[in-house]
Amino acid sequence: MMKPKVFNRGKAFLLAAVVFTGLSFKEARTKTTQDPATLRIVFSNKVGARDLVLRDSTYENPFGESYTVTRFRYYVTDIFLGTTGRQERIRHTYFLIDQGIPASWVAEVKIPAGSYHSLGFLLGVDSLLNVSGAQTGVLDPMRDMFWTWNSGYVMAKMEGNSPASTQVNQKFEYHIGGYSGPHKVLQTIRLPFDKVQEFHGGETCTIYVDADLNAWWKSVHEFRISEHPVITTPGLLAREMSENYAHMFHIDKIVPDSH
Amino acid sequence: MKKLWVILLLVAGAIGTFSWDEAGGHPHKTPHFHPTPLKLTIPRGWPQPPTNIFAHNPLTEEGFQLGRKLFYDGRLSRDGNFPCASCHEQFAAFATYDHDLSHGFNNQFTTRNAPPLFNLAWARSYNWDGGVNHLELQPLVPITAPNEMAETLDSVLARLRKDPVYPRMFKAAFGTPIINSQRMLKALAQFVGSLVSYNSKYDKVMRGEATFNSAEARGYALYKARCSTCHPEPLFTDYSYRNDGLSLNPYLKDVGRMRITGDPADSLKFKVPSLRNLSVTFPYTHDGRLYSLYNVIDHYSKGIHVGPTLDSSLRKAVPFTEQEKDDIVYFLHALNDTTFEKDKRYAQP
Repeated sequence: MMKPKVFNRGKAFLLAAVVFTGLSFKEARTKTTQDPATLRIVFSNKVGARDLVLRDSTYENPFGESYTVTRFRYYVTDIFLGTTGRQERIRHTYFLIDQGIPASWVAEVKIPAGSYHSLGFLLGVDSLLNVSGAQTGVLDPMRDMFWTWNSGYVMAKMEGNSPASTQVNQKFEYHIGGYSGPHKVLQTIRLPFDKVQEFHGGETCTIYVDADLNAWWKSVHEFRISEHPVITTPGLLAREMSENYAHMFHIDKIVPDSH
Repeated sequence: MKKLWVILLLVAGAIGTFSWDEAGGHPHKTPHFHPTPLKLTIPRGWPQPPTNIFAHNPLTEEGFQLGRKLFYDGRLSRDGNFPCASCHEQFAAFATYDHDLSHGFNNQFTTRNAPPLFNLAWARSYNWDGGVNHLELQPLVPITAPNEMAETLDSVLARLRKDPVYPRMFKAAFGTPIINSQRMLKALAQFVGSLVSYNSKYDKVMRGEATFNSAEARGYALYKARCSTCHPEPLFTDYSYRNDGLSLNPYLKDVGRMRITGDPADSLKFKVPSLRNLSVTFPYTHDGRLYSLYNVIDHYSKGIHVGPTLDSSLRKAVPFTEQEKDDIVYFLHALNDTTFEKDKRYAQP
């Protein structure tokens, strides 16, 4: 029914019509099963209740050490949703959440429509991609999240300044990486929903996820800036810090059928 | 207008899908793109490489030639003076000839002896400490090291994009003229990974095309008895990391493999180098402290520094008589591949 109408719009729409025809066929074919739903995850990096603002704002960690943040980045990959008895894995999902790039705070993926009870993802880049040579997109080594001298991704990075730091310019730097053996810092994050959530085909559901930076210093382990201002190699300290920051996330709210 | 919006989204989606294909290593899906396939040379009697380093980087003549041009291009370095080839000279089997440490940006020394480049498709890791886990990633180290090429990928790619020739060569190699770090690194891997050295006198003897003279034959027997555990044929390395009895260099303080693993058991362990092309890769060892082959043999006879991580095979000195030294050196010279060192296909384009 739509086709002749589109054609009547004239020459300018000719190419568009061809593409649109393709879409119509595709819709006709898949409508019988289910359209995918769109899952949008909006990450808000915070310290306690305060939004993270790079450079200008001063925060305090659980040990009363004050600090400012100059860089804050982490990889969110291999997104999955929990449903009864299994996990729906969304393949090829790679996002680099970078506090300095607001557009990167939103991760959007297509998922099969259905009811789910939790959201999950890998915090970091899986082992295989760490040993598979040069990558591109958010995995490009130019994103400054890759070690050249000891191949592998920096899974999460926080840099800033604190009077508690003994380092030059009172810097602190945490570049947390390591993809194999005892050095593995890959953390699987699972965030349960309060109730089973329906994801309708063709509609967008937005999950707002808060990440609290203060978990880096204190959750299962304790790290004071005064004692550990620099962790930039794979090893025990990096792994323990990853076990800490794995606890930084929680779901703020879920907004179904948002646009 | 709503439909137009849908269409735009769809087109954006299609572009997104295309980019993913590229990331997934299927550049050959581009229509009307038919580069000339190449095959890695696997000499007769050699094992298959442990992994296919070209699995996601199909080896082609166009990719090889692009990598070759990049390898010899000084614009990959900050001041233009340090192409890959400045430390990796073909006549030295792609090591730095007669230098313990090489030279980098702004009158600086490198911190290790530049290793020769050949038969890299058989290696499982790169660098003296094995820190680099894939050949495609290796160029990131010298390009960005402040005492080597001292450059950023951003600057390098900006220069390549402005060049009149490179966009055409990237298109020939990868289907579109897009220049990004992944493509540059894959092209370099195609060139460097194709460097196979297998035409020494030793190889000819093994193929029945030549015979050892008596000194070489005695040296070969000595090699088999005393050197082949760590340097097995036909690659003349087992690619393991071992403490070779070299004491810690007090200036470089290079602990080798331990820098990567953090394990004290790996202190002072370095990758076992191949014995091929030794005639042109002196000085030897990770910091180039042993100048000649005779120095190396004397090290094994009477220079071993005993420490907790010393390789078990070196706990007892390996003595050589004067005659044996000459014989083993004769044999080692028979591992020199002048065909490789002069192959025009590997030379500056």
